[in-house]
Order: sequence, then structure tokens, then C-alpha cells
Amino acid sequence: MLEKTFFLLCLSSALGNELCTPGASDGYKVRLSINTALGEEAYPWNPNEMFLFRASLAFAMRNHIAGQIFEVSNIVVCDETPRVSFWFVVTSPLNPSELVNKGNVEEAVRKSRNRINSAFLLSDNTLEFVGIPPTLAAPVSPDTPPWLIVFGVVMGAVGAGIVAVLVLSVVQKKRKKSRKTEDEDTEVEIRPKAMENGDGVYNPSFTDEEPITQM
Amino acid sequence: MEKDARPNWDNPLQFLLACVSYAVGLGNVWRFPYLCQMHGGGGFLIPYLIMLILEGVPLFCLELAIGQKMRLGSIGAWTAINPYLGGVGLASVVTSTYLCLYYNIINAWSFWYLFNSFQSVLPWGDCPINANGTGYVEECEKATPTQYFFYRETLNISSSIEVNGGIQTSQALLLLLAWVISYLFIIRGIKSTGKVVYFTATFPYVVLFIYLIWGFTLHGAVNGVKYMFTPKMEQLANPTTWINAATQIFFSLGLGFGSLIAFASYNEYNNNFERQAIMVSLINSGTSVFASIVTFAIYGFKATFNYENCLERTRLLLLNTFDLAEDTISLDTVFEWIDKLNATYPQEFAEISSKLETCDLESELDGAVEGPGLAFIVYSEAIKNMPLPQLWSVLYFSMLLLLGMGSMLGNITAIITPLRDFKATSCISNELFNGLVCMFCFLLGLGFTTTSGSYWFTMFNDYGATFSLLFVVLIEVITISYIYGSKRFEKDVEDMLGHRPNLYWRIMWKFVSPLLLITIFIFYIVSYIRGGTPTYQAWNKELGKSEVTEYPVFGQVFIGLLLLSSVSCVPLTALYVYCRKRKHGHHPRERTVSTVCD
Repeated sequence: MLEKTFFLLCLSSALGNELCTPGASDGYKVRLSINTALGEEAYPWNPNEMFLFRASLAFAMRNHIAGQIFEVSNIVVCDETPRVSFWFVVTSPLNPSELVNKGNVEEAVRKSRNRINSAFLLSDNTLEFVGIPPTLAAPVSPDTPPWLIVFGVVMGAVGAGIVAVLVLSVVQKKRKKSRKTEDEDTEVEIRPKAMENGDGVYNPSFTDEEPITQM
Repeated sequence: MEKDARPNWDNPLQFLLACVSYAVGLGNVWRFPYLCQMHGGGGFLIPYLIMLILEGVPLFCLELAIGQKMRLGSIGAWTAINPYLGGVGLASVVTSTYLCLYYNIINAWSFWYLFNSFQSVLPWGDCPINANGTGYVEECEKATPTQYFFYRETLNISSSIEVNGGIQTSQALLLLLAWVISYLFIIRGIKSTGKVVYFTATFPYVVLFIYLIWGFTLHGAVNGVKYMFTPKMEQLANPTTWINAATQIFFSLGLGFGSLIAFASYNEYNNNFERQAIMVSLINSGTSVFASIVTFAIYGFKATFNYENCLERTRLLLLNTFDLAEDTISLDTVFEWIDKLNATYPQEFAEISSKLETCDLESELDGAVEGPGLAFIVYSEAIKNMPLPQLWSVLYFSMLLLLGMGSMLGNITAIITPLRDFKATSCISNELFNGLVCMFCFLLGLGFTTTSGSYWFTMFNDYGATFSLLFVVLIEVITISYIYGSKRFEKDVEDMLGHRPNLYWRIMWKFVSPLLLITIFIFYIVSYIRGGTPTYQAWNKELGKSEVTEYPVFGQVFIGLLLLSSVSCVPLTALYVYCRKRKHGHHPRERTVSTVCD
């Protein structure tokens, strides 16, 4: 019993090794830039991290292809480099010598990209799947462009300012006019007193007006 | 009792601030740093200061003296000096009108950028995504996001001056706002202008100061300032340097528009304009130097940012191609590794050599830009990389706005003051007349908000007010020194100030400034003739960059019209006055003794 399972494991890994080659048509190259993303809090890359990667990819495959139970052993990895980059292929759980095609793998990765990224505390740019472009954020377009709102506020304020100044100047002009007519009225009152004779000439030096200095 | 006494400034400080607000404008921010960079950095200050002393201060003082003495706008003042030369004033008004038409567009652009800064993500930071969501808009990819935002989303620029679309609603609305605010500032003439200039003259300095301190904390700012101030003395041997210094002083002070005459005409008769002229000229030049220090700090930051990004991209390329561990190459060792890898793996290296960019800090700093391109593209690119970009963006564009508005005050006053001197317009109220002028300029200015509007703007900017001003000021200084008579003028100055102008002023007004102006004038004519067909920069959306294009025939005709319409005012008015005098000379009127004195 034990020998059989041991034999099967060796066979599957041997098969897997043959299936995974750099540049495989159904495989993808993965590149991690942990130092760039995390700086001082970067974790070292070791076989445990690799296990996590294979597990999260198996998770992504399970999510995408309903019904098929992908195991960690279905994710075959090869050509690891110090860069922290490697190739992987996905074997089908139904037939270990058959590879899941590229399109399906890409779809699976796309769907669960966010989950895979967060498992490693990385982003689309630092956990690269070479050949799968990062998903672009959907543009946020508000109904009223924000500049229009600010414009409305400023225009309203300036318009109110102009109206205020115009109203003020009209009011001032009216006040000036009414003051002027008051002055004219008082002048008209003083004059008729002196012109009663009719054939006289109005000589201001003999009138009893305030402006002349009192002795 | 005078019914309509000429309004006065509330105090001499208002006049001083009005002159500062007018003279300190966008040119100090976007032209002077460029010239500094082109003509040898710190060394440019030498011809600049010499020209200030020889040309700037004397001509500034001259215009203030004329305005204060004649107490009329430019048309009235020049008619009073010599009836045949009233055309000089008219030429000033025509040039000021052209300036008013196109200058407020810059304020509209500043408003656009300012209002768009109130967003969580600055819109010129990233490229927008294209229609099917697969990538970025192609035009934006070829150019940069900031260029795309300026040329496409702000201007929606067409491919050349001949191709015309409709009026851009957003630009038209903002132009309306700019004119409405200008109207509010000049609604009662200098009574309202005098209060506004307290703010428009001082706030830009606050922002510049904040930016200076902030700028120096930015990483890489010192590179820019060092680059600017390293003098390249050999540039001083180049005559273009001296001509450019003279022209910059001339245009920066805003001579010849009639604004200074207009402002000074509201002064008290005995106001000490001599001291104020020196102060304003020095403040103006000081601000230019101050603004260029800030500009170069920002340049340095942007260049260092781009340079380090370039290094980072190269580093990643090397790491990815040769699958080395991440910490083997750092930013400092990129160049060493390039050589090492080239030597050890020449084949693989040859494959990626096409993708390898050359990262050079000097060439980043060398990219000198001037004009709206500097203010709106380069600066906004630098701002988007700063922490808290919204705050810096709001500060910067409000400063640009105030600089532009302050200059507009002078420009509009230059049109209103001489027109108000005519008896025909004195029956209309101040507010109504100013409103009509603003409305007229706004409606004509709408032409600059069309898709080809920015090309017309460039045409007006380059030709509308350059040659004509030189001509006007040259005639001005020759008239005062030789036709009106320098002795008579000195007496007028003594009358106003209480002392005769000293030797410096006399020599400058009579000999040095006219000589300098003639030199610049000849230089302009020669470069116009030598330059061949006038050209402009057209934005090519396929390539994502600007290309030099020749003006079509109607464009060249229009340029000719622009120049002729202001310059011809002088000879035409002289001719008109001459004809009128001859007509009246044939029918002599009976002279009645008039006891009413002027």
C-alpha cells in the first residue's frame, strides 16, 4: 500500500516535471517583487511561501472551474530563480498528465487576483503574472463634474457682490439727489425776501445770510 | 464746485500696490526662469540688472511722470503734449484692447485647474481608461497625462489653426467668470481697484514664500537651484542674451500700454513718483528672481523624480531579464551593473538594449519650458507627485490667478481711463461704461475658447503686443526728450516733485534709453525678416507632441493686421490732425476774449 502511493507520487511529480518547462505553452511565468513592495517588512522567500502560492492557485482554479477539485499537487512549479520568479503549469485533477489550457488558467487568476495578491501582501504590479495584464481600476465619474460645483459657488458669490455694489451705488446716488434738492429748497426761500421791490438788484453783501462772517 | 472731480487713490500705498500688482504678472513666473536657464543661469542676472538700470527704471518713471502731470489717460495726455502725437495714446489703447481680449483666457485656464483641484485624485495625475476598458487612451499613452489633460481635456485642441470646432462650454463659462470678477474689481474705477490691489499684490508673495520653504524640503530641489545658479559666463558674450534681458525688462514692467499713465493720472499732483518708480521696478525684478528660485526648486524636484523613476525602471528591467535577486542592484549601482552585465552576457544584453533608457539628470533639467506650457504642464506634473497634492495645487493656481487678475486690472484701466476722458462718455455712469467694456471684451474673447482658440492665443501673444509696444515707447521717449523738450519736461518734474531730476535721469531719458530701444527695435525687425514665415506649435494627437507648423496665409495676413492696426494709429492720427488744422486754418474764427481760465 505504502509502496503504491509512493510510486504514484513519484510518477506524478516526474510527469509534472516533464510538463512544466520555461516557455511552456500552457504555463505562466510568475514574478514577485517582495522587497520593492514591502521594503523593510519583506519576508524571505522559502518553500513554505511556495506552498502558499500553489495552494492559493489551486483555490483560484477551484473557484473558476466548478466541480473539479484541484489539489496543491495539481500546481506544478519549475525554474525558480533568485529573482523570485518561476514558471507554473496546472494539471487537470482528472488526468495528471493533461494540462489545463492557458485561457482557463488566465480566467481563474483574473477572477481571484485580489485574493492571491492579499495572501502575499502584494499588488498587481508586484505579483506579476507575465502575460496577464493587471486589471485597471474602473473610472469613477460623478454625475456633476466637481469643477462645475465650485464654479457655481464662486459665480454665485461674485454675482451677489456685483448686485450689492450696484444697488449700493444707486442708493448713494438717490441720497445725494435728495440732499441736493433740500439745499436748493432752502436757497430758494432766502432769495424772494430780497427781491420784493422788483427793480432792485440783488446784492449779496447786504443779505442776512449765514456764510458771511459775523463781526 | 467741480461736479465730477477726478477720483484719487485713497493713499499713495494703493497706487504703489496697483503698480506692483500690474507689473508683477505671469511673465515673472513663466518667462524669466526660462530666460535664466537659456542664458547661463546666475550669469543672466548681470545683463538683467544692467538693463533694469539703463532702461527699465527711467522709462517707468517717464510714464508715471506723464500720467501724473497731465492727469489724463494716454490719449488725452499725448494730445496735450503734442496734438500731432495723440496717435501714440490711441496705439496704446488698441494694444491694450488686444491684450485684454486674450489675457483673460489664461485666467480662465487657471480657474479650470483651480476648480479641478478639489478632487480626491487630481485629474491630470493618471491617464483616463479608453472606451473598452482594455488600456489607457492612446493619445495619453503617447504623451504624458499632464499634457493630455491640458491639450485634450482643457483646450480640446484641434490639429491646426485652420481646423475649427465649436466653442468649448467649460472654457466659455470660465472666461465669463474671469470677466465677471474683473468687472467686480473695476466696477467703480480706481475706487474699487484701489481696495482690491491690497490683496492681489500681496497674496502671490505669501504663496511664493510658502512654496520656497516647501520647495526646499522636496527631494532633489537643491539640484535644480544649483543648476540654475551655476553661471555660464560664456553666454554673456552672446548678443542675444543682452537683447533678451532688455526685452524682458521692457515687457515685464508693462511699458507702453498706457496703464501706468492711467494709474498715475489719479495721483495727487505732488506725489513722489520718482521713488515709487524705483521701488516698483526693483520689486518687479526681485520677484522675478524669487519666482525663478522657486521654479528651479520645483524643476529640480521633478527632474530628480523622473530621473529616479528612470533608474528604477532600468533596475527592474535588469533584474527581470537576468533573474537576479531583488537586493543585488540598488539605485546607486545601476550603472555599474549595466557595464558588468554587458560584459558578462553580451547576447542577452543586446536583446534588451532597445528597451534600455538613458537616465540623465542633466538632460531632465535641461528641458527648459516657458509660457503656459511651464505654468500648466510642467508645474502640474511636479505637483501631482507631492504629498497632499490638492493643497499645493490650490495654492499654486490661486497664485497664478491673482497674478493674472492683477495685471488685468491695469490692462482694463488702460482702456477705460482714456475713453472716460472724452466728453461723449462722461454722461454714462461709471458702472455702466465699465460693464459695457467688459462685455465687449468678453464677447470677442469667446473666439479664444474654440478648439483652435489656443493657436489664436499664441498668435496674439507673440505678435499683438510686442512690436507695437516697442514702437510706442520709442516714440514716447523721443517725443518727451526732443519734441516736447527735455528742459520743459524737467521743469514739469520739478514742479511736481520740488527738485529737478538728477543727472542719471537726464542722461537715461535723453540718450541711453532711446538708443537701447532703437537697438532692440532694429533687432526685432531683423529677426522678423530673417525668420521667414512665422510658425507656431500645433498639437499632433497621433504622435502626442507639438510640431512646428507655419501659419496659413490668412494667419499671416492677420498678424500683419495686428501689427499695422496699432502702429498705424500714430501716423494716421497725425495726418488727421494736420488735415483738420489746415481746414480750420482756411476759416479763421473770431477770437473772443475769454476770462474763464482752464
